Amino acid sequence: MTAKESTDSGAATAATAVLRIRGVRKSFGGAAALKGVDLDLHPGEIHALMGMNGAGKSTLVQVLSGVHQPDGGTVEVDGHAHAGLTVRRARRLGIASVPQRRELAMGLTVAENVLLGDLPTRRAAVRWKAVRQQAREALHSLGIDIDVERTAGSLTVAEQTMVEVAREVRRGGRVLVLDEPTACLSAKDADRIRTLVRRLRDDGVAVVYISHYIDEVMAVADRITVLRDGAVVHTGPAEELDPAGLVRAMVGRDVVSRRPERPAPKDELGLSVRSLSQGRAIRDFSVEVRRGEVVAVLGPAGDAQSRLFDLLSGRQRPDSGELHVDGRPVAVGSIPASLGSGLRCVTGDRRTLGLVPELSLDENLMLADDRFTRRRLHRRDRLARRAEPVRRAYGVVSLTGNPPVSALSGGNQQKVLLGKWLETGPAACFLEDPTNGVDIAAMADIHTLVDDLAARGVAVLLASSSAEEVMRLADRVVVVSAGRTVAVHDITAITRDELVATALGGQPQ
Amino acid sequence: MSVKTLPDAPGVAEPPAGRRSRFSPGALRGVPHAGLIAVLVIVVAFTAMRTETFATDRNIVNILSQVSVNAVLAAGLTLLMTAGGMDFSMGSNVAVTAAVAAKLLASGQPTGWAVAVALLLGTAIGLVNGLVVTFTRVAPFVATLASATLLDGVALLVHDGNTISIGTRMFALGNNKLLGVPYLLVVAVLVLVAAALVMRFTVFGRDAFAIGGNEHVARLSGINVTARKLVLYGTTGALSGLAGLMLLSRLGSSSPGGTAGLSLQLAVVAAVVIGGTSLAGGYGTVTGTALGLVLLGVVANALNLLDFSSNYQPVSVGAVLLVAAVANEMHKARSARH
Repeated sequence: MTAKESTDSGAATAATAVLRIRGVRKSFGGAAALKGVDLDLHPGEIHALMGMNGAGKSTLVQVLSGVHQPDGGTVEVDGHAHAGLTVRRARRLGIASVPQRRELAMGLTVAENVLLGDLPTRRAAVRWKAVRQQAREALHSLGIDIDVERTAGSLTVAEQTMVEVAREVRRGGRVLVLDEPTACLSAKDADRIRTLVRRLRDDGVAVVYISHYIDEVMAVADRITVLRDGAVVHTGPAEELDPAGLVRAMVGRDVVSRRPERPAPKDELGLSVRSLSQGRAIRDFSVEVRRGEVVAVLGPAGDAQSRLFDLLSGRQRPDSGELHVDGRPVAVGSIPASLGSGLRCVTGDRRTLGLVPELSLDENLMLADDRFTRRRLHRRDRLARRAEPVRRAYGVVSLTGNPPVSALSGGNQQKVLLGKWLETGPAACFLEDPTNGVDIAAMADIHTLVDDLAARGVAVLLASSSAEEVMRLADRVVVVSAGRTVAVHDITAITRDELVATALGGQPQ
Repeated sequence: MSVKTLPDAPGVAEPPAGRRSRFSPGALRGVPHAGLIAVLVIVVAFTAMRTETFATDRNIVNILSQVSVNAVLAAGLTLLMTAGGMDFSMGSNVAVTAAVAAKLLASGQPTGWAVAVALLLGTAIGLVNGLVVTFTRVAPFVATLASATLLDGVALLVHDGNTISIGTRMFALGNNKLLGVPYLLVVAVLVLVAAALVMRFTVFGRDAFAIGGNEHVARLSGINVTARKLVLYGTTGALSGLAGLMLLSRLGSSSPGGTAGLSLQLAVVAAVVIGGTSLAGGYGTVTGTALGLVLLGVVANALNLLDFSSNYQPVSVGAVLLVAAVANEMHKARSARH
């Protein structure tokens, strides 16, 4: 055991594991998702679970929280071995998980959400004063500062995560699984979440932390377990690994995602946006993207970038603003006009705006293209033949022929989404968080796809909340904050740290 | 029983697992609508054992022609519900179109004219529903429930308290047979097959799945969602007009508070839901709907043959609906886990 741990917990070391998993196996329809996994979780420790999409992280977490019963192996809680847990029993044993998709009752207040299922009552009447008081205490004890009378729907994603954490801790969660709690968050919000996670550790909670951000994991985790193809390939204290080693353990090889030499942008403008405004979300936003150029819009997630998708795709009408694609004016606020101009907008929210979960992989992949070419008849075999080259070009992998797209891993879904839009002959495109929730290898693949796109002479406008991604892809970067443009930089004229500082503070420099 | 040899379910791609490999129960579970077929087989076997008359050609043709009107409505509703829509007014649309057609025929107008008016009127009513749903964002459930109630009232006004008889006009459609198969049944099968083909082999049909699955994505992918919905509601309206003519020709008259109206609609919705079509949209099969129709028809016929009072009819429809809905959910949960 490490020095750190022995100082923390004194004499009792290995025996203090609150949860031990031994030789857990699980397969789905013949495909093995977990092949004999061991895992020890200690109180007061942040245990990062790393691995690529489909490595078995989610299955392992689902075994922990009782959603799936393992085919073999044991889950030991406080020394009692269980062959499998049910959701109810896991909860009673204090194993809680905060999924990637926030699960709050959006119409209820923060206080009600924190106390959900355990509202203090007197003769069946809810004691509202006590509700607020107890919720306030629960939040306060974790150092969370949120007004308990706000409705959950009005919270930011980060605040929702915090409320969910507070609820689980109040219910007696001793093992808390956080699935990508900082995905899609701004640096500032992500920081608040990480502070909360450290606080949980100091309070003696065993935290299982799942994240794709290497730097974040190196900064926050005490211990790292890496899964690859359903087996543990590394487990040990975080200090033993450096970022490169971690990536190698996850992918099984070195992954290189460095800026390649791209042909210089052409002189003609591919996409130009002039003084776009909508309410307070976006104010007087202008940007010009030349063909073959990648311009990034960087800012806190949930700020102007996400509104840009709605406005550029035509889903919403701006209060004012002009849009030109390839020099031709395009009516704003109309989806057909936007599509007709050759502008392709790829959403960052593939679940609600990107894919049709019930339809098959191939149908999703060809959904837009088949409509543009005005097909009338639908033949499954011909569809498969058309989809095949796109699948290959975008590296979409599926275990069985053509499953519903919802059965694919996040990285594969993202590739389907990109393939769907970028294979339709775009003149210009807008990409919102194109590597949202995908593993490091898929991320490198997607970055290469964007490079190719620019090299083909497409004007690419990229909205991102990740400074790394912007440094990797963009030729120029526009920093936005509170709906306003605060700075424009050539990527060669700014360092990563300056960029992070600008995005974090959002103040004009 | 398999009069309706429909193409395979147009749902999400499932490997066409060895159909009817009776020797492995595991493979049987992969067959689409396995639960529904099982229930149907049990009901049929039970009834056939208890009464002689059930398993005769005559009775089977009788069952199928009794569900013909419902089948025409259910075919349209399957398509509409798959696209995330809902039309509660089809049955009431039938009542109105049947009444108007009866009135025209009774006043001596040519049959062709009455047929055209009925079909156009049905389509127009459907389009009005569609316009309300697409342009006011009122939930389809609410909008069409309102129009159903309204149309039921209109049908009463048209009748003005009297039963309108059409004598022997359109007698052939309602009573004649083609090679031993009633015309009504032929029409119903044609409509069902057409709906199945549209859903499986046309981009229009796949658009319905996309719209029902995720309307935002459908719109962003260049599907003209508004136009598609109007066509879908117009189609359910036109099919209601057709069903009205079929009902009229079978009964030979149209009476106030007759078989059409909201109660007919509920039986149709029940058949579609029993067939596994999702109320939320994004999933639906005509095969399932056909099975649901046959199941409801068989249960009604069995109760009749076994000398139960006709008051048990709604009880049986409700019970079958509940059992089938539970079976569908269990099947879904199980296939999600595997």
